[in-house]
Parts: sequence; structure tokens; C-alpha cells
Amino acid sequence: MANYFNTLPLREKLNQLGVAEFMDISEFADGVSALKGKKIVIVGCGAQGLNQGLNLRDSGLDVSYALRKEAIDQKRDSWKNATNNNFTVGTYEELIPTADLVSNLTPDKQHSAVIDAVMPLMKEGATLSYSHGFNIVEEGKQIRKDITVIMVAPKCPGSEVRAEYLRGFGVPTLIAVHPENDPQGKGLAEAKAYCVGTGGHKAGVLRSSFVAEVKSDLMGEQTILCGLLQTGSILSFDKMVEKGIEPGYASKLVQYGVEVITEALKQGGITAMMDRLSNVAKIKAFEVSEELKTIMRPLFQKHQDDIMSGEFSRTMMEDWANGDKNLLAWRAATGETAFEKTPAGDVKIGEQEYFDHAVFMVSYIKAGVELAFETMVEAGIKPESAYYESLHETPLIANTIARKKLFEMNRVISDTAEYGCYLFDHACKPLLADFMKTVDTDIIGKNYNEGKDGAVDNQELIAVNDAIRNHPVEKVGAVLRKAMTAMKAIKTA
Amino acid sequence: MINPVVHITHLSLQYAHHVVLDQLNWQILPGEHWLIGGKSGSGKSSLGKALAGLEKTSGDMQFFFSESSSLPARALYVSNWYQFTNLEGDRNFYYQQRYNKQQRNDTLTVYAELMHYSKEENLAFEEVEKYLSLFDFIDFKNTQLIELSSGEHKKLQLIRALWLKPQLLIIDEPYTGLDKASRDKLNRFLEELVEAGVHLVLITNDENIPRCINRFAEIENGQIKRLPSIHHLSKEEMRKQKPLPYFLQQEAKEAADVLVHMENIHVRYGEKEVLKNISWTVRKGEKWLLQGHNGSGKSTLLSLINGDHPQAYANEIHLFGKKRGSGESIWDIKARLGIVSPELHWYFDKTAKVWQAIASGIYDSIGLFRQLSYEQQQKVTQLLDFFELTADKDRLLTSLPLGKQRLVLLARTIIKNPSLLILDEPCQGLDHAQTEHFNTVVDELCSFGKTLIYVGHYETQLPSCLDNKIVLEKGAVKTIQKIVEQTTAIL
Repeated sequence: MANYFNTLPLREKLNQLGVAEFMDISEFADGVSALKGKKIVIVGCGAQGLNQGLNLRDSGLDVSYALRKEAIDQKRDSWKNATNNNFTVGTYEELIPTADLVSNLTPDKQHSAVIDAVMPLMKEGATLSYSHGFNIVEEGKQIRKDITVIMVAPKCPGSEVRAEYLRGFGVPTLIAVHPENDPQGKGLAEAKAYCVGTGGHKAGVLRSSFVAEVKSDLMGEQTILCGLLQTGSILSFDKMVEKGIEPGYASKLVQYGVEVITEALKQGGITAMMDRLSNVAKIKAFEVSEELKTIMRPLFQKHQDDIMSGEFSRTMMEDWANGDKNLLAWRAATGETAFEKTPAGDVKIGEQEYFDHAVFMVSYIKAGVELAFETMVEAGIKPESAYYESLHETPLIANTIARKKLFEMNRVISDTAEYGCYLFDHACKPLLADFMKTVDTDIIGKNYNEGKDGAVDNQELIAVNDAIRNHPVEKVGAVLRKAMTAMKAIKTA
Repeated sequence: MINPVVHITHLSLQYAHHVVLDQLNWQILPGEHWLIGGKSGSGKSSLGKALAGLEKTSGDMQFFFSESSSLPARALYVSNWYQFTNLEGDRNFYYQQRYNKQQRNDTLTVYAELMHYSKEENLAFEEVEKYLSLFDFIDFKNTQLIELSSGEHKKLQLIRALWLKPQLLIIDEPYTGLDKASRDKLNRFLEELVEAGVHLVLITNDENIPRCINRFAEIENGQIKRLPSIHHLSKEEMRKQKPLPYFLQQEAKEAADVLVHMENIHVRYGEKEVLKNISWTVRKGEKWLLQGHNGSGKSTLLSLINGDHPQAYANEIHLFGKKRGSGESIWDIKARLGIVSPELHWYFDKTAKVWQAIASGIYDSIGLFRQLSYEQQQKVTQLLDFFELTADKDRLLTSLPLGKQRLVLLARTIIKNPSLLILDEPCQGLDHAQTEHFNTVVDELCSFGKTLIYVGHYETQLPSCLDNKIVLEKGAVKTIQKIVEQTTAIL
């Protein structure tokens, strides 16, 4: 199979990369009617599979689960998830031929095998749905021409997809129709109906393409942001311990700090995050982030280039074929880091303290988010897509770290993301080695404002504020956040 | 001169601009056991929390705990109802999560939790048994914390407190959710605690209190006011009689004559059968009382009706004339019924202001995500006025006294004028006067053709409109009958 993107002429590459249209809620007025009475069969019943299915059923749709025979015979977790929630469960042979829409919600790694097994069984003219386009774009999977291929990608972990639906809301979602597979022209209507069924239409929907979703997703969530938070967490923790900060405090400041800091990011962008700092601290954070951006930019560009050329997915698929050798080695190494092994101390850290004592972390997150956004946009991805895969994702990933540190983050995210995360982390730490020598506890571990009178130069402050507020990620963010109005506040631990 | 146990001077506390405690002075002397009562919203719970160091206060608070005593030298506060977070502090719990069978292993079992507690506090594990039996908790040992109802969580907190025996124990509304026998038993245990050297502060207006209580007070204008006896506590002012807003005097549009019809319902979690062979029909206009002990399956039964339980799809359930799983969405169902339950309250949006909380009922969402039309705004205004909440409309829901919070949730759920009203222990944690107030409103509402399912514990504390009764026992129907005057007395 050839990489689909690489088979396209440049014109078509740019064309598909450039699909990014924020949809108005009025476009979803038909509700779930395009799928009403149709048979939806979901393949796979992990976190996304189960929770999307629960939502679709609660929206009045007919949902059942097709699992591999071994999973049923051995009563694996996927079988338990589906049967304990009273879904019909059957083998591919039993259920796929009856399906009007087959939703493939298995892990990326299994997609090729799953599609090979499922496709011959699918009804003429049925629809195949994905939540991530890797298989189509990077592996170049060819789907039978009578089949419609769509994507509905909720931009949240499965548990959130369910929790937000039951609150009467939803999670932001990307939808797409594969231009090679829309023989009846029904793809968009069905993608919209599916999206309504999961509640996504209430939280903001971006019309995307398989290509734009994959190339931005690999760059954003899958590579940069997880890696960014992993590297930032480890560097911050190690620096504090090196400089004599109590390890329990350092561990807690990092573990919960990423969540508290990015909560401001989620609600009001980089501007809100930076505004939580005092004026002196903000100017310092700005300077540090500029320096970090200069150092890290070539690494971000390399990642984006490798993703665009298919080099990233090629090497990752090699690792798949190799029994996940690199992935497993990196996973083990992460489990051995001092940050991971030091439990958060039983100390009270106030909400504001997470900012004042972690100016470095704020700078680092700002640098990472802006760089990811800038690099994606430079590569031809539209700002809306780039926003979802950079700023929007960061707090979601930070939440997982607050729960159980890096181990939890790497457990929750996909193997693809985990692979990218380690790849970035291992390249980034050496890159920052010299810079980290200059870092002291004033920007990580202690209150930056202490011993300063707080005075700043007006002109300097104005210039810094201006640079923060007028960054393109803030402009597109302001528009998109307005559409995603329900931002829940997070309490500090 | 003897040292006081607690010496408080100039204690002040405010939420935003709302002053709760104002330069309060108070001493608890050895041998004194206090009851703090009086009106809701006077600051009783805030004082209790402040004593245990759970509130940000100014002023001075000194403790002189006995050094010779073997009891833990600390003040412990048991709240009037307990908000639970899971082990990892995962904040995005949702109240239906108990029914979705996936994340069940996220929390400890009751047994594991108590083991953990005994280690942490150096308590002898055998001793907990008698407290477990007091609260009918013996059967709960292997239950996951997430599966407990909020009333059960409250009891678990009480069990932990009795077991720990801190030198100062503050219990907020100790008797809610307990039947007469359990109340008497609790009082005996409290007396034992006092003999062992515990100092008690009970926050309640209940008159059935342990004999050891020998000091009485209420809070007036943010200051403590000592009273000669429990009979001197201020009573809530009688609520002004107001007509229901006009839109609620209209009978809800309902085409179906049978709102709920269940046939031989079974709900299982693995081996455990939670509901067994239940058949039940609720017709338009009927007012049902649903009763049963903790764990008898009441909440599960209700969750089948309000669209929250996945196993509804595997059972023969007809709602509003339509079979479950025949293409309806849970939002179609929720639009026609209104619900208030401790779990809904428990997981409610903590950032919601009063008016937002009420308005969110229009969309059945936890949190308000949409703009309101003029007509919808009018309804919010009318409800605020009817419940005398206008002055509180911009306050955070969570900053109101519990009784008012429940009224807000009632207002939220009736704003769409639902044909079926489900009130699952709506008065849990409320005192006698608040409960009476709440139930009067329910009676008024139901006089306009509503159908009601009401879950409640006490015979004396029920709305008077109830005309049918279903009692569950261990997941099965024990009795199902019409309520006539005589039987109400012996429920």
C-alpha cells in the first residue's frame, strides 16, 4: 500500500490539507435522521468504541458490536464492555453483512487487518466510518468503490465523550468525507448525523479532510504535545530536585501544575495563561519562551517535515512490525524517571502558587503551543485545524498527567501518540541541555515575585502584551472558543 | 480557672461579599456539649466547617486538647451531605457513571476504604462492626464507593467519625436519612463517645437529641447567641403563600395515558441481581410513593425511567406510550420528565449561578450552554420570584444553604413544566421545616394534573397528595397498593 498523501499531485495535497470550516449549529438541524433506522455496527469496544456507542444508542440509533471471535470466546474486556451494557455482540461474519454503517474504532495499529477482514463482508453501498484517518492517509488503504468512507473524530478521550454527552453537551469534533469514496454523495449527511448522535454538534464541529486531520493530529496531539508535556515535566522536576527543592513538593507542583496552568489556557488562550502571572513574571516568561522557541523550532520543523513526507509513519510502522521494540523500551524508561517515582507530597499548593512558582513551565507551554501552531500553519494546515491540534489538546493531555503522571498520559493516549511522544522527548531533552544549565529555582520551584518590587517598564510591558495577544493562535482561538462555550472550571487538588 | 476546649475570638467569615460570621466569640468548656440550631442560612454549617479548619476565616481560634487523653487531638466535621470524589481526584464524574459498566474499578470498596482508614488512623478494625450494623452497612462491605448513594456516603462518614472518636466532633444534621430506631441507637453511641471524652457539637433543629447535650445556641447576625433550651430556637418564618407562576398552572401536554409501564424487569451486574421481576404501571395523574431500604433498588428503578440506565434497552419498558429502544433519544424522554435526586445535586455544575442552574433545566443540561429567548427568561424570573430566590439569583448555587439549593433544583426541573415529576429523596439533608416547605410546594405543583413519583423515608415528612405506593425489598416489589387515609399512618 502506498502512502495516500504522497500519491496526490501538489495541487490536490494543498487542496485537502486546506479543508477547515467551522460549522454552524444550524447545519445540524436534521439531527440523527440520516442514520435513523439504519444498522450501525461498531468494530472494537475500548474507550472510544464503548462510549461513542452508548451515546449513539441514547440518541435513538441502532448500535451493535462486532468483535473478533477470540475476543468473544475468551470474554475479553471489549466483550464485557459491550455485553454488560446490553449491546448485541457478534462476530464479524454475523454482524458486518447486516450493517448500513460500520464504525472502525479499533487501535490504529489494527486498522489494516480489521479492514481486510471487514471489507469483504460489507453490504453493497454501506458506509465505513473512522475516528482517525491514519489507515487511509498514511497506510494508503484502498476501500471498495461502492463504500462511502467518513470520519467523525471527537477531540477528547472516550470517557469525556460520554461524560459531556450526559451533561447535555458534547466534545469538539472533526468530521470529514474521503473524496475517493463518496459514490452516493451521502457521506457528509451521515457524518453529521453520527456527530449529532455523539453530541459533538453542541460543542463545535470542524469540517476537515482525512489528510488535514491526520497530518495535524500526528503533529499536534500525537507528537508534539504529549512529548512537550513529558519533557517539560521531567526537566522541571529534575531541575527542582537538583537545586534542593523538596521532591514531594516538586512532584506535586509539576503533576497538578500542568493541569492548573493549562486550565487558564483552555478558558482564555495563551493570553489568559500569561495574565495569571504578575507583570514582572510575565515579562520573564515571555523572554524565556522566546528563547525556548528559538532552540526548539528546528525540532518542531523536523517533526512536521517527517510527518508530511510519510517518514514518521514509515518508521513507526517499522516498529509495529518489529513487535513495538522501541515503544516498549521507551515506555519502560519513562516508568523509571525520578518524576514518575516520586509521589506528590502531602503539601497544600494554592491555585496561584502553581503559576508563581512555575514561570518556567508557563514559558515552556507557551513556547510549545505557539511553535506547534506556527509549524503546522507554515506546512499548509489551516489555522482552525492547527488550533484544535495544539492549544485545544494541551489541557486535555495535562488532565491525564494530573491523574496519574506520565504513565497515565501514555496509557490514555493512542500507541501512535505514545510513540511520537517518546520520539520528541528523546530529541528535545539533549537539545535543551545547555539551556537548562542556566535555569534556577526563581523560575521553577520558588515564587518568582519574591524579593522583587514588581515594577516594570511600561513600554516593555505593552510590547510583551501586544506580542502575546496578537499571536495568530490567539486570534483563531478567540473565535473557536466562543463556539465552545461550556468550559468547566477545574478545582485545584 | 479551667481552660476551655475551644476558645474563639473575633471569628469572621465571608463568601464573596456575603458576610456569614462577623466577629464571633465563643468558648466550649470541658463538659459542654452544644447544639447549634436556628434558621437555615444563618451560618451554622459554616461555623461547623470553620471549627474543623475547613473554611478561610479571620480571627483567632485556639484549641486546648487534652494531652492525657488517648483520643485523637483534633476537630472533625461531618457534613450534612457528603460530596465524593474518586481515588485519583478525577473531577469529571457524572452521576450516571454508576450505571455505565466500564469504570467500575476506579474506586475502592467500602471494606477496602475502611481498612485503609484503620491503618491511617491506627484504629482496631474489629471495632467498626458495631457502627456498620447501626447503619445497616454490613451488606455494603464489598460495594464500590461509587455505587453508594449520597445518603449512604453520609452514613459512611458518620461511621468513620464514631470509630475515630476525635476530641471534638461536629456533626451537621446527624439524623437525616435515619429511621427512628437508628436515631435512638446513634444517640446512645454519641453518649458513649461523650463518656469516653469526646466533646460534641451537633448542628440540627431536631428535638430528639442525646441527653448529654447541655448547651444550646443559634447564630444571629453572624454572632453566637446562647439559648436556655432547644425550645428557644428561632423557627423559619412561614413562607408567604404565592400563586404558582401561570405557566405551571397549565396542565402539561401529555398524549399518553400510561406514562410508565414495566414488565418483569431484571437488572443484573454480573452475578448480582439488583432488580428482580418488577412490573409497574404509572398512569397519568397518579401520585406514587416509592419506598424501600438502602440498596433495595429504588434509584436503579428510577434510572430506568429517566433514561440514565443502559439496561433499559434490554428490558420491556414503555415510557410515555413508546417502547424503550424504538428510536427515541434520552433527550426526548428527559424533555417530558423532571427529576431531582441527591445524585443529580451531588454532581451538579459547581460553577453554576442560581439563575443559570434554573435555566439549564430548559435543555436538561448540567450547566447552561445556550442563550435564552425572552419567554424563557420570563419563566426564570417567575420561578425566582415564586421560590423567593430573586435576591440570590447571581450567587453560586453551592453557596446557598442546602434547603435553598434543593428549591433551585426543583425550580430547574419544573421550568419545562414536565408531565412526570420524579423526586428521589429530594429532602435528604434538609431539616424538618425545610422539608415541610419543600413538600408544600410539591403539593401545589401536583394539583395541576402532574404525575408524581416521590421517594421518601418518613411517614411524617411526605407530601399529602400521594395516592399510590410501591415498596421495594432486595430488588423485588414487596407491596404495591393504593394509599387510603388509614394506611398512611402505618407506612
